[in-house]
Amino acid sequence: MTRRIMAAIAGALIAGPALAQDKDDLTLQLKWVTQAQFAGYYVAQEKGFYDEEGLNVTIRPGGPDIAPTQVLAGGGADVIVEWMPAALAAREKGLPLVNIAQPFKSSGMMLTCLKESGISDPQTDFSGKTLGVWFSGNEYPFLSWMSTLGLSTEGGPDGVTVLKQGFNVDPLLQKQAACISTMTYNEYWQVIDAGLTPDDLVTFKYSDQGVATLEDGLYTLQSTLEDEDRVDALARFVRASMKGWKYAEEHPEEAAEIVLENDETGAQTIEHQTRMASEVAKLTAGSDGTLDEADYQQTVKTLLSGGSDPVISREPEGAFTHIITDRALN
Amino acid sequence: MTGALAGTLPILAVWAGGWALNAWLARFDTRLTRILVAAIFGITVIVLWEMIVRIYRVPTVILPAPGQIAASFAANTAILWTDFVQTIVKGALTGWLIGAAAAILTAIAIDRSPFLQRGLLPIGNFVAALPIVGIAPILVMWFGFDWQSKAAVVVVMVFFPILVNMVAGLAATDAMQRDLMATWAAPYGASLWKLRLPAAMPFLFNGLKITTTLALIGAIVAEFFGSPTHGMGFRISTAVGRLDLPLVWAEILVAAIAGTLFYGLVALIEKKVTFWHPSQRA
Repeated sequence: MTRRIMAAIAGALIAGPALAQDKDDLTLQLKWVTQAQFAGYYVAQEKGFYDEEGLNVTIRPGGPDIAPTQVLAGGGADVIVEWMPAALAAREKGLPLVNIAQPFKSSGMMLTCLKESGISDPQTDFSGKTLGVWFSGNEYPFLSWMSTLGLSTEGGPDGVTVLKQGFNVDPLLQKQAACISTMTYNEYWQVIDAGLTPDDLVTFKYSDQGVATLEDGLYTLQSTLEDEDRVDALARFVRASMKGWKYAEEHPEEAAEIVLENDETGAQTIEHQTRMASEVAKLTAGSDGTLDEADYQQTVKTLLSGGSDPVISREPEGAFTHIITDRALN
Repeated sequence: MTGALAGTLPILAVWAGGWALNAWLARFDTRLTRILVAAIFGITVIVLWEMIVRIYRVPTVILPAPGQIAASFAANTAILWTDFVQTIVKGALTGWLIGAAAAILTAIAIDRSPFLQRGLLPIGNFVAALPIVGIAPILVMWFGFDWQSKAAVVVVMVFFPILVNMVAGLAATDAMQRDLMATWAAPYGASLWKLRLPAAMPFLFNGLKITTTLALIGAIVAEFFGSPTHGMGFRISTAVGRLDLPLVWAEILVAAIAGTLFYGLVALIEKKVTFWHPSQRA
């Protein structure tokens, strides 16, 4: 009897700390700074969804000059949030990235133009204009769009002049560019907050132009998927993350507060984050995390139709897998 | 473990071989061996780099091999040349010349008037302390995205070191020399032109040499904050996003070569101008 009690106590003593250590460590590299664009992951972290799945997740914010693909290649993260064009381009460059889940169903990318620049139809009005574009892997959707329009990005009267846009909307406010790249949930509102009204602006959503590409998917390296333990951990990660996303969709205010608590820079405001959370909810709606193959094909088609300078030169193979989401959701 | 060890042996062998060869060469102190020793050291470093990257299979994204960098350099000469002209010639060189001219004129004005000396030097000091990452975005907003804003950043960066050196240079003559000019009834201009400017030259060139590399760094970093789609800073920051690291290193190589040549050129002019100075006696 005493022996059994002793054994139970010893067992409890061993199991106690062991429970804490049994968690799988995962590092997630975000595509951009801490903001409601990544609310689902922060919610999953704060609400203990990762804990419940036995995961110890580290969320690393990105920034203007952080390319998540490079962080992954360098071993600085297990899984990254990346846009599909950059991921497929990296894959063609020899970095075997695989899409394991797609929390964002729709694209939030658009070009926001000043009405006074006289642009109303992308087919005819862009030539000779200056457009602001993000780089570090975010230029691919834009380059695809321009080549479908048959416009050179080298400037001149028949092409467009491209500016490397920083992390703010000043080029538009300063009228240094006729249009700048914006996300429906972020930069567009920064322009509005700067004092311009929606009537001063013309917006062209990539999805309306038929050149939308998949954004904010979860990617990992091919080699990670060959390890059964990591596959299991990733499946639990995706399940918890999607739970976080659905929670954020239903509670945008709370999600914004959680994001704000996690923002170490203190640069974000609650108004902007709440608005962002509700805009992002529109993009995550309709996705349970599983990549829709039709969306994937549309992205690949857009990237391949790059005229003289396509983003990817051949049809990618094995660039996505349903293994993780199938296991996570069933 | 044995694999890692097997890879380490040839690396150690090359390193020890280079060392031994140089140690042996160093016994003969002629002009040729001095050049040889330096060349062998450089070649050994590059060979070791290539070997380490290949043997330990370091991913290209972390560190490309010198061979890959050379191949990228050869394949992208057109891009590298466009970037060089945009960043070094238009941005750095223009900014450096404007900044140097402004600093020299300001130094003479400060030298002429004690009032300016008390007012301008602290302001110059203040400008020198501004961090480049803080002023670059502002100057991009003021002067646009093209090379003009990069030149403006360079002006701000090079102005103060040249100013301080020039002010010190203009004070470098001693009282005896100045008294001599006064006994000949030389006006301010004549004494400046014939005595004090030549005496200030070693100081001025000191400032000019220091700022050659500052100008390059300023022009490249300023391009991170908004640029047209060419330029070395643009390429370095965007090629990383495209995982084209050999191109990034090729740009770094161009910057290193350009910086060395720029410095060398200024040092050469200095030799011609200040041949009379004790430091130039070989």
